[in-house]
Amino acid sequence: MKHRKLFERTAEGLLFACAALSVLAVILITVFLFQRGLSLFQKVSVLEFLGSTRWEPTAKVPGYGILSFIVGSFYVTGLALAFAVPIGLAVGIFLAELAEKRSSRIIHSTVELLAGIPSVIYGLFGIALISTITRSLFGGSGYSVLSASIVLAIMTLPTIISVTEVSLRAVPRELKEGSLALGATHWQTIVRVLVPAARSGIIAGVILGMGRAIGETMAVLMVGGNAPLMPKGLTGMVRTLTMNIITDMSYATGDHLTSLFATGIVLFVFILVLNLTVQVALKRSMAATEGGGGA
Amino acid sequence: MKKLTALALVLALAGSAFAQLSGTFTFGGSTTVAPIAYAAIEQFQKNNPGVKISYEATGSGAGLKALLAGQISLAGSSAEFSADQLMDGKPVVIALDGLSVVVNKNIKLANISRANLAKIYHGDISNWKDVGGPDLKIVVVNRDESSGTYAAFWELVCLKDFGKAVAYTKDAIVTKENGEVAAKVASTPGSIGYVGMAFADQVIKAGGRELQVDAVAPTVANVIAKKYPISRSLFLLTKGAPAAASVEKAFIDFVLSPKGQAIVKSVDYIPVPKK
Repeated sequence: MKHRKLFERTAEGLLFACAALSVLAVILITVFLFQRGLSLFQKVSVLEFLGSTRWEPTAKVPGYGILSFIVGSFYVTGLALAFAVPIGLAVGIFLAELAEKRSSRIIHSTVELLAGIPSVIYGLFGIALISTITRSLFGGSGYSVLSASIVLAIMTLPTIISVTEVSLRAVPRELKEGSLALGATHWQTIVRVLVPAARSGIIAGVILGMGRAIGETMAVLMVGGNAPLMPKGLTGMVRTLTMNIITDMSYATGDHLTSLFATGIVLFVFILVLNLTVQVALKRSMAATEGGGGA
Repeated sequence: MKKLTALALVLALAGSAFAQLSGTFTFGGSTTVAPIAYAAIEQFQKNNPGVKISYEATGSGAGLKALLAGQISLAGSSAEFSADQLMDGKPVVIALDGLSVVVNKNIKLANISRANLAKIYHGDISNWKDVGGPDLKIVVVNRDESSGTYAAFWELVCLKDFGKAVAYTKDAIVTKENGEVAAKVASTPGSIGYVGMAFADQVIKAGGRELQVDAVAPTVANVIAKKYPISRSLFLLTKGAPAAASVEKAFIDFVLSPKGQAIVKSVDYIPVPKK
């Protein structure tokens, strides 16, 4: 008996240590990022950093304004979601409710494959095809907000599709049966009962997708144009926060380097807020499901 | 630690007894120098079987930074750094290079003046019709700041009209490599870019065009004769003067030897003219 207890204790301890390690990693990254980046604000005011569009870190009078990149990040991400959410929802609903087993399986594995493609491949695809198409349809150079958002939309699709499907499947059977028994058609049941019941989960999926889009670097770097300017409309070029970090990282020194870490902090805060929102949404969805089951 | 000491001992013995070079080395820097570096390293390793060298093409600025930080022991550079920037870096000229100005195939121009080129890159001219082309917006393709070509192009083309401080138009596609410029110019109508002469072929193969500048074609003869306005020297940099029996010294000597200069020529750069 004693041996068994000892063994269990050790196993528990080991697992706890592993769990602690990931917490430690997050803490280390946070501390490191803030420690390297915050000192910028002794020289540049927060307001100037976040509110100015003058990014000239190597000029005689350096300018460290990242407003264009913040706007660029949100512009591209927002547009990507505008493309991806309707399509992702549709596919998720189709997979959960309408598809036959065989086609569902094929689509399912294709979507999973889509999630596994490295972002540099999306970038190549973007250069070769998407920028050419947007150029011929909408003019401009093809390296634009629009091209970047389309590439990002394709990249966020898998997240939105799978979460939508899972949330729809998690809706209690009774709700669907009740709706059908009351005489609603399958379509009415989906639109009026299932989707509203799975709402919180779906929202969480969308926000997760948003997180992926805002943090994506390589693919947007290849199709966004990367000009350090405020994006001018759909066909204008764009540089996002992540693109700014990777473009300047290789040669930045001194305050310039610090400003890149500060850009990282901004990105980190955005992602943090998104993640917290997901957790709140998920908690709400769980509470709602439990409430539904009880009633 | 023991292993390292042993290795150092072996190296020292080998060095003194047979004057044979060995060890693993990391070089890096200019993407323009990279084709020379790769080919020269391959040959150099064949001549010295104990030596393993890698070259990371990160850009001249990044190369100098890594060299001064001690991360690499030899850097390629396509920029003529000032003494302030070099600190204790020591440059050696290993080749000459002309920068080719390339445009997409839909721009049917043969020549552009240096002054107009400067205005395009400064942002004062933004339509092809102002330089004798079609009524079409100019899509400027530029490099990022870590590139030696970026600094060299400003110095050679724009400095005369717009001063020493780099002030390229910001309305430009920013690319990270010569090859990316070539790819983007070849695929984007109305675009203009600049690349090392060795990369112009990529654009021409894709249907693009290489322009004359001030009516001088970017040819080897014109660069050596100093007629072509956008030409420059390529360098290898070491931190301080290289030690006599070091791999770095041997490598620089190799690149400057007739064999090394033949490599320079084979990758489409121009050998250092004999004095």
